[in-house]
Formats: sequence, C-alpha cells, structure tokens
Amino acid sequence: MIYCLLIRLSHNRMGAVARKESILSGDSIRIGRGVPCQLRLHDTRVALLHATLKHSKDGALHIGADGLESIKINGVTQKNADLNPGDRIEIGPYLLIVDPASKGPYLSLTAELTQPTVEQVSCPPLNLDALEINKLKIGMMLAACILFLFILLPLLPAFSPALDKAQSSLPVTLRDSWNPGHMSSGHRALEKQCSVCHQQGFRAVPDKACKACHKNSEKHTSNDAQHGVLFKTLHCTECHRDHKAAAGLMPYDSARCIACHGDIKARSAKANIPNVHEFTRDHPPFRITLRGERPLKVQPTPSLREAPGLKFSHQVHLDKRGIKSPEGDTVLNCADCHRPDKGGFKPITMKQSCQQSGCHELYYAEPADGTVPHGSELEAMNKLREFFVHWLAASAENRASCGADAGNQLELALACADDLARKNAATSLFDKKDGCGECHEIIAKPENTEVPWKISPLHINLKWYKNAVFPHEKHTSTECRSCHDKANSKSSADLAMPPIEKCRECHVGDRTTRGKVSSACDSCHQFHAK
Amino acid sequence: MKIARYPGLLNFMNYRYPIRFSVLVVTALATYLLAPIGSETYGGSWVGYLLGIVSALIVLMLIWYGIAKRHLPRHRATKPGKRTLRHRADLWRSTQQGRLSLHINLGGSLIVFATLHTGFQFGWNIHTLSYVLMLMTILSGFYGLYAYLRLPRLLTRNACGATLDELRHEISKQDELARAHALGLSDEMNLLIRKARLETRLGGNLVQQLSGRQINCPTTSAVRQILKIGSRNIENEERGLLRDLYSVLLCKESLVLRARRDIMLKARMKIWLYLHVPLSIALLAALLAHILSILFFW
Repeated sequence: MIYCLLIRLSHNRMGAVARKESILSGDSIRIGRGVPCQLRLHDTRVALLHATLKHSKDGALHIGADGLESIKINGVTQKNADLNPGDRIEIGPYLLIVDPASKGPYLSLTAELTQPTVEQVSCPPLNLDALEINKLKIGMMLAACILFLFILLPLLPAFSPALDKAQSSLPVTLRDSWNPGHMSSGHRALEKQCSVCHQQGFRAVPDKACKACHKNSEKHTSNDAQHGVLFKTLHCTECHRDHKAAAGLMPYDSARCIACHGDIKARSAKANIPNVHEFTRDHPPFRITLRGERPLKVQPTPSLREAPGLKFSHQVHLDKRGIKSPEGDTVLNCADCHRPDKGGFKPITMKQSCQQSGCHELYYAEPADGTVPHGSELEAMNKLREFFVHWLAASAENRASCGADAGNQLELALACADDLARKNAATSLFDKKDGCGECHEIIAKPENTEVPWKISPLHINLKWYKNAVFPHEKHTSTECRSCHDKANSKSSADLAMPPIEKCRECHVGDRTTRGKVSSACDSCHQFHAK
Repeated sequence: MKIARYPGLLNFMNYRYPIRFSVLVVTALATYLLAPIGSETYGGSWVGYLLGIVSALIVLMLIWYGIAKRHLPRHRATKPGKRTLRHRADLWRSTQQGRLSLHINLGGSLIVFATLHTGFQFGWNIHTLSYVLMLMTILSGFYGLYAYLRLPRLLTRNACGATLDELRHEISKQDELARAHALGLSDEMNLLIRKARLETRLGGNLVQQLSGRQINCPTTSAVRQILKIGSRNIENEERGLLRDLYSVLLCKESLVLRARRDIMLKARMKIWLYLHVPLSIALLAALLAHILSILFFW
C-alpha cells in the first residue's frame, strides 16, 4: 500500500505560487492524463497512462514508464527506477520532486508544470476598420489615374503639333477617350485626326474646316447676298453634327426648317414663298416648271398644257390590245420607254426607245432608198443628195430626165441631184404629216439654201420640280399610272403631274400617324440647293 | 392614445423629397419624350445640355453632402414647437435624417437625369465612364440604404444582447472546457480539439469578413469527427467524456457561427462606404474630364 501526499504548485499571472494538496493511496499509483489515473497530469504531452508507482520486491518504491513512454529521473532518461528521497522526476512538462522526508510507503510528491505550452492563437481583424483600408486614398488614386489618362494625355497633342501627328497613327490615340461616338462613314478616315476639324481648343469647328473639302457646297438661296444676310450666324456644325455613328451627319429635323419657313417674311421681307409648318397642314400646292421657249413655274390645272414640240400619243402606245410592230402586236408598258436610272430615268432616245423591236425605222421615199439618219436635218439631206448623185451617174436615161447629159455635166448633175433631193424631201422627208412630220413639227426655212426646213426643237421636261426631288426608286411598290394618268392621253402636251393631294394620301409631315409615312422636309427638299 | 410615428429616411416629413423629386423626374422624362419630333436627343442637343447641367449640379450637391457631413459643424436645431416657415426650412438642415433623405432622393433622381442626358448613346470613352462611375456610386449608396434599413435588425437578432467580445470570451471558455475534457481521451481527439481551438478563425480579410464563413472550419469538422469516433467501440469512461466534449463543441460551434455572422453583418453594413467614397471621388474626376473634353472640342 502506498500513501502519497500530492502537493500541486501553480503560478498565477502575477507569478505568485499557489499550492494545493491531496492524498493519494493504493497498491500502486497510476500517473498520466487519463481518467483512470490517480495522479493526473493535465497536459497532452503526458500519455493517458504514462507511468506507474509501486513497491518493488524488496519493498522500495519503484517507478516504471508504461509502454513506449519514458521518464527522466534526475536528468537521466530511464524506463524504470527506484525512487529515493530528493529525486526529480520529469514526466512530459511536469516536474515531480520526491520530498526528502518521504520514508517507506509514505511518499510526499510535489508536482509542478515547469514547461507550460505557449499557444499562439492568432487574432485576425474582426471588423473592416481593422483592415485599415483608406477610402480617401483609394479614391484619390482612382481620381489621379482618371485625370492622367483622360485629361492630361488628351490635352498633350494641343501643345505639340508633332506629337499630334505622331499619335494619330497609333492604334489607340491619346484622344480616343474623348471621342463621344464614331464619325459618319464619310468622315471615318478623320476619326483619329481630331485637329483637322477641331482646329482650336474651346472653339467650335470653324466653317473653313468643312469648306477645305466641301468646296462646291451650294448656298440655300439663289441670291448670294441674301444668303449671306440670312445665314450670317449659322455655322455648318449647327446642322451637321458628327460623332453620331449610324445617325449620320444629315439632320433629320423639320423643326430647323420650320423655325424660318414657319414665318418666312419675318426672316426675309423679300421672300415670295408662303409659310409652311407641316406637310399635310399648310404646305403650298406643287408648282411645276414648264420648259419651252421660256421656263415657267406654275401650279398645274386641268387645262394646263406644255409644249414639248413632239407629236406623241400615249393612248396609242399603251393600247391594251397591243401596238403593231415588226414582231406582231406588242403590248407596251411604261418601263419599256421610261427606263429607271439612279434617282430618275434614262433619257428617251430614238434608237433605244422608238426604234426598239424595229419600230419607227426611217426610210427615204422612192426612188431613194436606205435609212434616214435621225438627229440632223443636214445629214439627212446630204445623204439624199448623195443618193441622187449616184442615181444620175448610174444611167444616161436618168441624166437625160433632168437635162444633165450635155455641156458642163458635173455642175449640171450636182444641181440636178440637189433639185431632185429637195423635191423628194418636200414630199416625203419633211412632209408635215408624213416622214419627220409624223412626230415633229416642221418649220419651213426657205432662206436656208442647204436645208430649207427645220425640225422644231424639243423641250422634254426632265426636272419638273425646281426645289424638290422625287425618288422614283422608293416608290416602285405603286403603279406608274396611279400618279401619272396617261393611258388616255392623245397628245404629248397633256400634263400628268400629280397634285399635292396625291402625295398626302400616303405621306404626312414629320410626325407619327398610323398608316401614313412620316416625311420630314428633307425627304423632298435639300438645304444646299439654290 | 396616439402613437408617434418615428420619421424614417424614406418617409421623412411625409414623403417630402420623394414627391418633389418624382415631379422633377416626370418633368425631365416629359421634356425628353415631347421634344420636337426628329430633333436630336443626345447630350449635344439643348435638352441634353439642360439635363447635363442639372445632373452635374446634382453630383456636386451629393458630394458636398459627404464633405459637409464629415468636416463641417452641424447646424443648430431650431427650438421645437415653432411651425414657422423658417423652422420648416431649417429642419432638413438641422437634422442628419433630413439631409440624408435629400441626399438619397437626389441620387435616385440623378439616375434618370443622367440617363436621359446620355441619349442612350454609349461607347468606350470618358463620357460613358463617367456615367458608369455615377451609376456604381449611386447603386453602392442604395445598397448602403438597404444595409442601414435591414441589417441592424438582423444584427440585434443574431447577437441576442451579447457583444462580440462577450461571444469571444465565451468561445475561449468553451475551448478551455473542451481541452480539459479531451485530456482524458486519445491523442487523436486531443489533436482535433487543439486544431479547433487554434485554427478556428473569426473575422479575417475583406472576403472572409464579408462571407462570414470559414472553409473547412475546424470546430465544425471536430463536431463531425466526434460523432464518427463516438460510433466506434469505446470504453464506458471515454463514452461519458466524449458526450460532454460533444456538447461543449456544439455550444462552441453555435457561438462561433453567431460571432461570424455578427462580423459579417457589420462588414456588410460598412462595405458600401468603401465603394461609395472612392467612387464618388473618381466620379468627380471623370466628370471634370467629361466637361473639359466637351468644352475643349466644342
């Protein structure tokens, strides 16, 4: 039986020693951190059952380490040892001292933790303030970056033309960040050369920058002086704003037009055009320009006729049953003669339109033969004279018929040929109802010795509206005759220009209306057109 | 008994600012939509310039609020009971709540003004950068408003009257208890408890604080491990210790989760300012660059 007085020594934070005593007894005393041990040493460096204290055969107290554990007695690592008074036993971090007064089974042990565990428990920041993030500093750094990239760098080219030129060839220029949007397609090449247009800082793009390329831009009014007075303060950029990518340079804005044309007299007392606010409301009726001896700008009326100088019946040519041709009866359509071209129609020519499919081939009357050249009276007459010269030379009988077989034969023959040609032309080529007269007005010109007839000049109108454009290509969904009723027209003097009411059936002004086409002023009118 | 209604940020003075700014916003929208047909609706048009000037002034007012709040002395509140015009006019200046209410409503209306000012034309340039910075600043502010209105309630509910220091103290007590209980158990268990004691993390860096989580939390994994060990064939003495240890660890885990949630909610309440303030300063610089570029390339 072992009786053990256990004295536990511990130190508080201030270093003062605390002492706690307890009595242990038993045949043996188990030392370890485990629950079954009588002497528990509270540290993980001590095994559950570290050592056992018991009597040896000779009655002395004996300590033996359990299993693979070891103990240090008086500084020497041992597995087993007999205990003597004053021995210092080291078990893990604990030091056990056998009291010198111990005798026999009465043992006195002092236990002290001499090597306490120093555990480093980290304490990371518990709030955002502890992270010491400086909001102001971050903001200032961001601001400094922005000021450098977006103010300093874009301003640099303004101080050095050489730098401006050099940086414009870079893939990303110093001023790209100031570009509010892509330029219109025509100006795309200038996108990286800001200073071509923006010639001076804090100043608007000057007109001269535009006119450096756009030299032939028309003025708005026919009177240059008036244009100068009216548009003295209006600059190109007030209407043509770039950097709007797909929106383009052209203003789609009737408001600008109406600002002046809504009260045109206030802008120009000399103006002779009515006020306009909206296409369907107060746009004046169309006035067409009639060609002729003197161009005339008039409002079309049912009785109005033009004088194109051509005899032509649309009724005959547009007969639904067809018109006679070398290829049989042919039904003609408008587009057979009026061939669409960019922005309008190709000019109607004798060869392309009238002589298509062999129609309207021109032949001399007998005895002359061959085709008549179209377009020149002199050429037609000379060809006829040439025929009769050959005709006279061909046989003496022919020469005898006009007395050219004696004397000065050559002069007589030429005079005879000319006489025959005139007679032939008078009855066929320049007859008022036959020959050229079938389509043209023939004017007698007896004073003209070479060709005593003249074809009346044609005045085919190609531009009916002086101040407006009509894009036929945008109106291909409608039939020609829905606007131009020429099916029953017997004379080319008949007019078939639609009135404004016809346009208003589909179009309204610059506003949205269900079932109608919105049309700003620039749908038909151009600012830069005299 | 009439219960006094506590004035909030949003319903300050009977929705004074929401009503006023709604009128302004509707006016701006109407101006944009009813501008003459066909006229250009972008920053360079007269509508655009007008909206741009208004937006720039609002930005300056918003930033001035941030400066005045931190660096200028507060206005003295007028005596209660007086319902004079002067009193009403002074009220918003004299109360932090009134000024903040104005700040929030100004910011909200700025989104509409500035968006209309852009004319919905965006690109890779300083102009769009200014707009994006402005949006980010306002949205971070809106998050701050949400945080101030919503998170304090969650914070109170989570803390149950305990402070973070109290929670930490309680956790360390549970750690000590767990350590003592584990001593009677195997080395494996002691290692587990040691890891749970030393490596369980509260707080941490920005992301860790905001997430309120620890990946492979040692305390949580210790709880799971104990369950596994408990299912093995162990001695009765150990079984009792294990049961005690399990309850201690469960208690610690719940404390740890509460402490982490406390840190997370506090971090989420404050994080918006770490965006709002730097973005506001960056916005001011971007706005300067935007205006300068417009004036330079007039």
